Amino acid sequence: MTDILLYDLIRGHLLKLSVYAFFIGIAYRFFRVLFLGLPPDYAPPKGKPILKAIEKVLLKPSQAWRFFLEVFAHRGIQYVGGFLFHLGFLGLTFFVPQHAFLWGDILGFEPPYLPQVVADILAYSALGSLFALTVHRIFNPVLRLLTGKDEYLANFLIGLVLFSGLLATRWAGGAYYLWMLNVHMLSACVLILYIPFSRLSHFVYYFMSVFFYGRNVGKRGVSF
Amino acid sequence: MMKVEKTEEIGEREARLFYEFCVASINAEVAAYLESCVRCGLCAEACLFYMGENISGKIDPTLTPAYKADLLREIYKENFTLWGRIKKTLGMGVKIDEKELKEQVKLAFYTCTMCDRCTKVCPMGIDTPRLVGIVRGALTSVGMAPKDLVDATNTALEKGSPLGVDVTTFLQRIEFISEEWEVEIPVDQKAEWLYIPSSIELMKFPSSVAAAAKVFHHAGINWTVSTVAHEATNFGLFLQDREVSKELLRRVLRGAKELEVKTIIAPECGHAYQSMRFVAPNLFPSEWDLKVLNIVEFIYLMLEEGRLHIKKKVVDRITLHDSCQIGRRGGVLKEPRYILKLLAENFVDSVDMPEKNICCGGGGGVVVVRDADYHRQKAFLTKAELFDKTGVKNVACYCANCMLALNKSAQEFNRDYKFISIVELVADALEGGES
Ligand code: SF4
Ligand code: SF4
Repeated sequence: MTDILLYDLIRGHLLKLSVYAFFIGIAYRFFRVLFLGLPPDYAPPKGKPILKAIEKVLLKPSQAWRFFLEVFAHRGIQYVGGFLFHLGFLGLTFFVPQHAFLWGDILGFEPPYLPQVVADILAYSALGSLFALTVHRIFNPVLRLLTGKDEYLANFLIGLVLFSGLLATRWAGGAYYLWMLNVHMLSACVLILYIPFSRLSHFVYYFMSVFFYGRNVGKRGVSF
Repeated sequence: MMKVEKTEEIGEREARLFYEFCVASINAEVAAYLESCVRCGLCAEACLFYMGENISGKIDPTLTPAYKADLLREIYKENFTLWGRIKKTLGMGVKIDEKELKEQVKLAFYTCTMCDRCTKVCPMGIDTPRLVGIVRGALTSVGMAPKDLVDATNTALEKGSPLGVDVTTFLQRIEFISEEWEVEIPVDQKAEWLYIPSSIELMKFPSSVAAAAKVFHHAGINWTVSTVAHEATNFGLFLQDREVSKELLRRVLRGAKELEVKTIIAPECGHAYQSMRFVAPNLFPSEWDLKVLNIVEFIYLMLEEGRLHIKKKVVDRITLHDSCQIGRRGGVLKEPRYILKLLAENFVDSVDMPEKNICCGGGGGVVVVRDADYHRQKAFLTKAELFDKTGVKNVACYCANCMLALNKSAQEFNRDYKFISIVELVADALEGGES
């Protein structure tokens, strides 16, 4: 019985609460930075700042790959792992069959979802990449210096969400299914709540930071 | 007379002023950069200082660009974020002492040339030079900028140039160059174009000033040099001291206005171009209506308009060193490549994309700072590796400061590269030979 009660609690109130808190927190963080304002720039631009800003928002992550040959030898794990992790994590969040009901609740309609086999591949690759990235973070001297508790906590939470999700869909049979699902949903709630308080909110600042970067690229008339 | 202060006593007052400067420098752009760092460390692999240590078989993680902005990031957080404020209230805030400030001097003044290469590799587009610039400004404001830079800046404020070139010396050098290279250099004439050399060229590479004069004559433009605006360099940029930058640029503005100039031709000097092209309009928003071209841009324009004709190839094989402030941060990248293809039998680029070129190691004033010599030399190894990949010894440059740093480091390592000014090559190619 407890498992069902817990399920109802998480599914009913906790999830909603964490999603609301997430949106409020993220909006706060975004506008707090935006409202700091910018000084005017009177230097005549050499290129097209706004067009470049939009281009960079759309393309910047792929353009960092222009350094692939130089950087790959030292940071192959990050390039490949980072790519696979983001692909897996975002793909799983938005496009697995099991989440369709959730998006249906939020959006009012069910978005298209991936076949289960693709979802499985994404889950394994995201989990594997996360593990490799975490080990790399522990042993690489540069990353060790840059890493704080925030990164480890975030990786742990994401790992828990991915792992419990995988267990629930693939392996947990019978009585354990609901427990696994509860762990999955509870850790997801904690993760969603944690995002606005952590560097996981980088996805919001990505748009701002890369927009400013692109604007500067346009002002200076360089290509990237 | 304005003067930059240098202090040896570092205490609570300095720490407080440093802190306040940082807080006052935060705006939406800076905050976005500080917030968005995902601690991936990829920027380390783009920074010539970090890479140089790697080549020597050592890893120094503190040379990672992201780390160079970490104190600023902490200061930002505890003033602008909820969690940071709570921590500060609980007494867990940033503590800045003498050791920390000295570390910042190393990070911002010795091991960053503000070259902008890390920005390109960073997946979040974080403009680390902008952040390092704030740290530099904060250190300058508390009298902790390196002594060599402060001395040179004060000489510039007092005498008109960091190398002590006052008006009398300027006129003597112009006369010497005119006679030695048999080229006429108009002084203080009303003209459409104003050419402002840097004192590094005037004193150490006078042939490039003569070459510039020859190019102007060939192009048939109405030009002059000025005894008021006789120095293009601006050490205020190195120190990130707004008032110093403004004072030095005021002289440029006054000189240009007196001679009714429309366009300034900035010399082969990175930060001179940066200061006049991108900084000056913001320091004099209502007065600065001058167009600014770097001399390489000018040559490109004249070639395009058919006012200059390259008559012969003047070099066999050559590669190019880009000035970061004119190139990657200034947008003059295609021009030197176009010109070099006309000048050389075989132009070998050292990078597949111009924006990826590596700094000389002496930019941002690093070449002037003796305490930074070790880091400059390490950084040069990264640069030398790039040259060696091309297998070419001739290296074209379009910044005298780069040439100075590259020559110095090459000598220290016994390397036989030959660094040549693009303007000199152009001047040679304009004379004699087949069209
Ligand atoms: S601006 Fe250049 S020198 Fe400074 S941290 Fe970035 S790559 Fe290194
Ligand atoms: S590459 Fe960018 S996001 Fe990554 S650590 Fe460096 S500054 Fe931060």
